[in-house]
Amino acid sequence: MGTISKIHEMLTSKQVSCKELTESYLRGIESDNTALNAYVCVTGDEALKTAEAVDKKIAAGESIGLLEGVPMALKDNMSTKGVLTTCCSKILTGYKPIYDAAVWELLKAQNAVMLGKTNMDEFAMGSSCETSYFGGAANPVDIDHVAGGSSGGSASAVGGNLAAYTLGSDTGGSIRQPASFCGVVGLKPTYGAVSRYGLIAYGSSLDQIGPITKSVEDAALVFDAIAKPDKRDSTSLGAKEDTYSKLDNDIKGLKIGIAREYIDGVRDDVKEAVLAAAKVYESLGAEIVYFDLPVLKFALPVYYIIACAEASSNLGRYDGIRYGYKTAHYNGTHDMICRTRSEGFGEEVKRRILLGTYVLSAGYYDAYYKKATDLRGTIIRAFNNAFENCDVILAPTVPMTAFEKGHAVSDPIETYLTDICTVPVNIAGLPGVSVPCGFNAKGMPIGMQLIGKSFGEATILNAAYKYQQAAPEKFKDTKWGVKL
Amino acid sequence: MVTREDVENIALLSKLFVPEEELDGLTKSMQEIIDFADAIAAAPASDGGFDNINNLSNVFREDEVVPSYPSEEILKNAPEQAEDHFLVRNRE
Amino acid sequence: MGCKAVKYELVSGFETHIELSTKTKIFCGCTTQFGGEPNTHCCPVCIGLPGTLPVLNREVVRFAIKAGLAVHGKIAEVAKMDRKNYCYPDLAKAYQISQLYAPLIIGGYIELSNGRKIRLHHIHIEEDAGKLIHQHGDTYVDYNRGGVPLIEIVSEPDIRSIDEAKEYVEKLQQVMRWVGISDCKMQEGSMRCDVNISVRPEGTEKFGTRTEIKNMNSITNIARAMEYEYERQVDLIESGGKVVQETLRFDDATGTTSSMRSKEDAHDYRYFRDPDLVTITIPREEVEELRSEMPELPADKFERYTDEYEIPEKDAALLTKYRSISEYFDKAIEGVKSPKTVSNFIIGQIFRRLETEADKEVFDVATTPEQLCELVKLLDSGKIRNNLAKSTLEKMLDSGKGATDFISESDMGGIDDSALLELCKNAVEGNPKAVEDYKNGKEKAIKALVGNVMKNSRGKADAKAAEEKIAQIIRNA
Repeated sequence: MGTISKIHEMLTSKQVSCKELTESYLRGIESDNTALNAYVCVTGDEALKTAEAVDKKIAAGESIGLLEGVPMALKDNMSTKGVLTTCCSKILTGYKPIYDAAVWELLKAQNAVMLGKTNMDEFAMGSSCETSYFGGAANPVDIDHVAGGSSGGSASAVGGNLAAYTLGSDTGGSIRQPASFCGVVGLKPTYGAVSRYGLIAYGSSLDQIGPITKSVEDAALVFDAIAKPDKRDSTSLGAKEDTYSKLDNDIKGLKIGIAREYIDGVRDDVKEAVLAAAKVYESLGAEIVYFDLPVLKFALPVYYIIACAEASSNLGRYDGIRYGYKTAHYNGTHDMICRTRSEGFGEEVKRRILLGTYVLSAGYYDAYYKKATDLRGTIIRAFNNAFENCDVILAPTVPMTAFEKGHAVSDPIETYLTDICTVPVNIAGLPGVSVPCGFNAKGMPIGMQLIGKSFGEATILNAAYKYQQAAPEKFKDTKWGVKL
Repeated sequence: MVTREDVENIALLSKLFVPEEELDGLTKSMQEIIDFADAIAAAPASDGGFDNINNLSNVFREDEVVPSYPSEEILKNAPEQAEDHFLVRNRE
Repeated sequence: MGCKAVKYELVSGFETHIELSTKTKIFCGCTTQFGGEPNTHCCPVCIGLPGTLPVLNREVVRFAIKAGLAVHGKIAEVAKMDRKNYCYPDLAKAYQISQLYAPLIIGGYIELSNGRKIRLHHIHIEEDAGKLIHQHGDTYVDYNRGGVPLIEIVSEPDIRSIDEAKEYVEKLQQVMRWVGISDCKMQEGSMRCDVNISVRPEGTEKFGTRTEIKNMNSITNIARAMEYEYERQVDLIESGGKVVQETLRFDDATGTTSSMRSKEDAHDYRYFRDPDLVTITIPREEVEELRSEMPELPADKFERYTDEYEIPEKDAALLTKYRSISEYFDKAIEGVKSPKTVSNFIIGQIFRRLETEADKEVFDVATTPEQLCELVKLLDSGKIRNNLAKSTLEKMLDSGKGATDFISESDMGGIDDSALLELCKNAVEGNPKAVEDYKNGKEKAIKALVGNVMKNSRGKADAKAAEEKIAQIIRNA
């Protein structure tokens, strides 16, 4: 598998030059992106330029960092200077930012080779990647299935070997859900661990950037590289500790909690796979404890109210004046703004803007937004209590496996329900990692989620790593992309 | 109860046009989502509220000038511009 | 009868926006300098590029606290930032970061010369919008001003006349300049008022329906607009109509107000906590530290000048109009017997040389307060007389030189205190008879002693001072 550590080893042992490696990824994209639609923008020239710089360093006998020269990609909602950044929305047509997102600054400084920008649900609003203006990304395990969302392109690219790793963003499950659907690893960090500067906002109090990778080890590597405090994001703190060095810690005696509410109501195959993983943990010396988390039943509406309220405000700025799409014909400024927005946003985005506007409007604020915010406090305290009796929480990532294309779009509420296991983590600002833990009858991957205490990434990645060591067969490669 | 007028009003606030023929459908769809959101009405009263995720306070920058961007950069992505201004042209 | 049966009382409250004179904008490091080529004081943050985030300028909070202390407001222990959502081309993010639920300053007041206190509801911090230029129907947008820090001072509807309104604005302007947080230049837009106004029959309690006149940028226009709006509302009610609650603009040319409402503005700002900014907590030590750095406020100085120095109110008002004048005055009166003399020199001779208000505010005077002080002390001690002092001050103001550069020993018409004392002692010692008479109750006997002093000083001594001194010497003998 084309993991980061493998690529690093190949580069340093001169089995392959960074340029050759980059070229093979670009060829992979050329041949397979039509099927996967993981990329919406490919930046080959820039990638090769960086690759050549890395090769020079290697030739000069300099040592290179673990992420140096490793081909990767960013979700299209991260600001990249001079490179199209559209959030897969018509409204950001042609937008080339004049500044870099904090995460990209960090990775660029390490000579990361960016291959391009990955597909996503429009403004990260969706669970299938199908609300993308460019059409959805396909699931590399079976391209008749969706890659999931919203970071569908990022998961598809990693699962389809079109990048060694990618960054996604997670507001209500947008890293973990597509990672679960595509059979790869996806880490949603603690709110504040990774700077949001340059991440185009959906739900500002919920959004976090995190890695999507082929292995837990890679997730730790990338997380350690991007989890730095940033003065430009007032809510950013950086990571509390490094995670990579703790991956192999013994998990004997680790208390793994399972909330009954997370298990009840999920599909049987998913439930079985997660409980089987619990058994693996027991065999590794961990202790499984069951508990109740009844407030979880409010998590979904709380999430949608808060996320949509924030989104309705965050998306007000797309008015055709400073950047992006502008309608061709209009009568006056107000008309121009309304037409631009009505033509530029897709249906799901408009629906969420309207919902968000509704819950904030006079007369409804207290019943919806304020109540949801209060409940957010209640949910946070419930998690805190739960963590008094366990170190990590084990749960399914999604109550089902990847659905077939076209299935998700029909009923918004049914689609919202797919987020039921992932949104509580965002509401509480906790870290969660999705790890492959099995397959359904059709061979579609099932993911499990390890949820940690605030800033407890090291603990959940440690537990996830131990699982990958014990059950490597759950991490299957696909037929697509670059074979290393 | 979400009414047609509610939807018209929030569409205006959101600066979105809702074509007359879509208004009923959208009202119904909004009602469904609001019914779903109404689940929280049954939730117990707050037991302490919420401030911000990591209970952060007093994150400031110092009052020190950082060079601004050249206006060409600022205007780079403008659909229309004139005389170093963003422009909304309202005449043919 | 020809006159109206009911008299109407004006009720008004102000929302005043003041641009803070911090070096940088409220949420980014761009300069706050006025003017500049269009869109050159901008960065990704203040033009609201997708993905950018605000970080609060610490100095904005400190300035707002100073404003709060200047108007006797309560400094909140916890404050938060909210988003005020409305879509307009000059607002880059389609929301203004402001404060609704937990503003920095609560309460406070401005006291008027008639003794009435105009209560303040609160003061909050927020960001300014950019500038729109409408030309031939096209709209040009410049975001240089976008993100400049503002405080908004919201008063209670306590103002009852146009004169009170004018004084309220003047006092606010005076005190905010005084504490150094803003230049409050209405013509440059660094101070703007929204005026809420309603009328009610005199003697009634219930407020009438109010209208709001937006964005007033001069005190003259505030008065004109209020006068027009008062008459309009009264006429409306008198003719059986009803005042509609609405937002108005004032037309400078016609002196009338007109509705700003259009069907495009739905007014529902959907305020909610800005998730990009964290809570502000203000330790009491910081408030005390800022309080200790505060200058003596104009109202306190006014009281000191009128009560302690017996300076007429009119003069005290002039001395406290600008901080620079009062500071000059305070330095110039150090050790002088009559602060009123100093006041007269400033308001008389010095003011004559400062033509504009701006000159008075800068108060760039060739004579230092120490030099003026020296001159007044000469006058105090009786060494020179008033006419000489006046002409000397003119020369001092022309040249920047001190009083002694112009006054020679011989010019000094008076004699100084120690010389006078010497003369008095000699008179007492040389005239035991007169001293005895005086001691025995013949008060007039002292006149002979004074006469002796006057003779020996060749008439330069001050007879009254000499008499006091002689009496003192005899008493203490």
